Amino acid sequence: MIEPFTVPFMGRALAELALLALICGPVSVLVFARRLSFVSDALTHTVFPGVVIGFLVGGTEGIVVGALIAGVVTAVVLTLLTSGGTLPDDASIAVVLTAMFSIGVVLVSRRSSYTSDLTSFLFGRILTVTPRQVAETAVLAVVILGLLLMTARALIFRTFDPVGAAAAGFRIAWLDLWLNIIVALVVVAAVRAVGTILVVALLIVPAAAARMLTDRLPVMAAIGTGLILLAAYGGLLASWNASVDYGVSLTSASAVVLLLVLAYLLLLPLGALRLRHRRTRTAPQGRTSPHELVG
Amino acid sequence: MDDVAVADAALRYAGVSVGYHGTPVLTDVNLELAAGERLALVGPNGAGKSTLVKSILGLVPVLAGTPTVLGRTPSRARTQTGYVPQTDSLDADFPVTAGQVVMMGRYRRIGWWRPTRSADRRAVHEALERLGLADHARTHFGVLSGGQRQRVLLARAIAAEPRLLLLDEPFNGVDAVSQEAILAVLRELSTVGTALVLSTHDLTVARELADTVCLLNGRQWAVGPPAETLTAETLRRAYGGHAIELRDGRTVLVEP
Repeated sequence: MIEPFTVPFMGRALAELALLALICGPVSVLVFARRLSFVSDALTHTVFPGVVIGFLVGGTEGIVVGALIAGVVTAVVLTLLTSGGTLPDDASIAVVLTAMFSIGVVLVSRRSSYTSDLTSFLFGRILTVTPRQVAETAVLAVVILGLLLMTARALIFRTFDPVGAAAAGFRIAWLDLWLNIIVALVVVAAVRAVGTILVVALLIVPAAAARMLTDRLPVMAAIGTGLILLAAYGGLLASWNASVDYGVSLTSASAVVLLLVLAYLLLLPLGALRLRHRRTRTAPQGRTSPHELVG
Repeated sequence: MDDVAVADAALRYAGVSVGYHGTPVLTDVNLELAAGERLALVGPNGAGKSTLVKSILGLVPVLAGTPTVLGRTPSRARTQTGYVPQTDSLDADFPVTAGQVVMMGRYRRIGWWRPTRSADRRAVHEALERLGLADHARTHFGVLSGGQRQRVLLARAIAAEPRLLLLDEPFNGVDAVSQEAILAVLRELSTVGTALVLSTHDLTVARELADTVCLLNGRQWAVGPPAETLTAETLRRAYGGHAIELRDGRTVLVEP
């Protein structure tokens, strides 16, 4: 069960995914609590043209720089679109998302190796991760966790009670920008390994699954990280076995994501049970606002 | 600077109009509140009570006039104002315990980096204890009843040790036990010099608790002691004719 990972490229793939697990567990909790799933999805798509341009200009090494620029620009634009206390405008986000994605596809389609390039941008190349890429991901992971720890309290306060947090003196727009940039950095960190499409699964599924098991945010983050680690191990092993033992080509990143989703589905009944248990424990509500006011 | 601020009124509004996007919600509000005084904002739904409360926090644009809070501009006074939102404005499914909610009241003091200290935990415990919820520190916020949640939110505001406390409809959907607990704590707070502003459409509460009542409906219709402001005549004018006087002298409001 461990033997495949003694092969260097498998070991690196697992190390890369472990680093991503470390950051995606906690970040996914905030994405889940802030209901930023769609914003995260938008970020992964708008980073795509950045990835393509980066690749066209600077080759594989240019991908991170391109993704970084596109990610930060998107984070700022999305913060502006959703600021002012109004709810995110789904339609405008969707327009930005599809437009940027199309630009990416147009750019990549000009190349002769169109199909293989597109596939690797969309779904990543976890098995060809280089030691240098693992090191870069490690640096990004430290930066992301640092940014997150620095503002964790304020971000949680803002998520739970935006008016209360603003009343306490926290600047909501800056906190929103901060979190969007953190999400963008996660996308940048993950884009070469798992691609722009699958990274969204790492940002949404872990916390959603962990929520079935616990009411506590730190525990949710830890469980989220644990689930990604399990899915990474299981997914890589499955694709290795499929390829070596049965000659079936199973994309590793897809296997990882499928296992993650499977974990979510398996935990769903538990979540329903917990919810029912909580409902029965909830005390009856007090009187509602009286229509008749006697003075 | 701080000594000057202490001598200042808790709240001073001179000809203040507030609203969003240049459209006024409330015009020409004139208020003065000293330390330890209790002000009730009374008016029908949509009268601008919540908007006035948010303007005291510096969260609503001022269109005219000068609001002064604890001797400063509203946004500069935020470190010394406490805010209790309406319970049902919050997500009850949010994974957080009552103790963690109260700790949020300490976040500004704690700052970005430092871990919570024993003084913070003590303040949280004391605040919960004052509201009779010491046993519920580890209870999930969403499991509590509406009244208990409202008490937790008051405990959060108290934990920040504010000089001016603002409450937005604190008795909406609150059971009698919780209402009594909240009223008792509010009275205690005002005796130690905390100024209170609460919005309510419950005239009984306003009459029992407030030194000053401000009757609002798009503008300030009356301000003064409850006995002078909550009369059938002023209520009828502010509410647009939906106040009926009963034979025993009480006033009843009837929704149209």
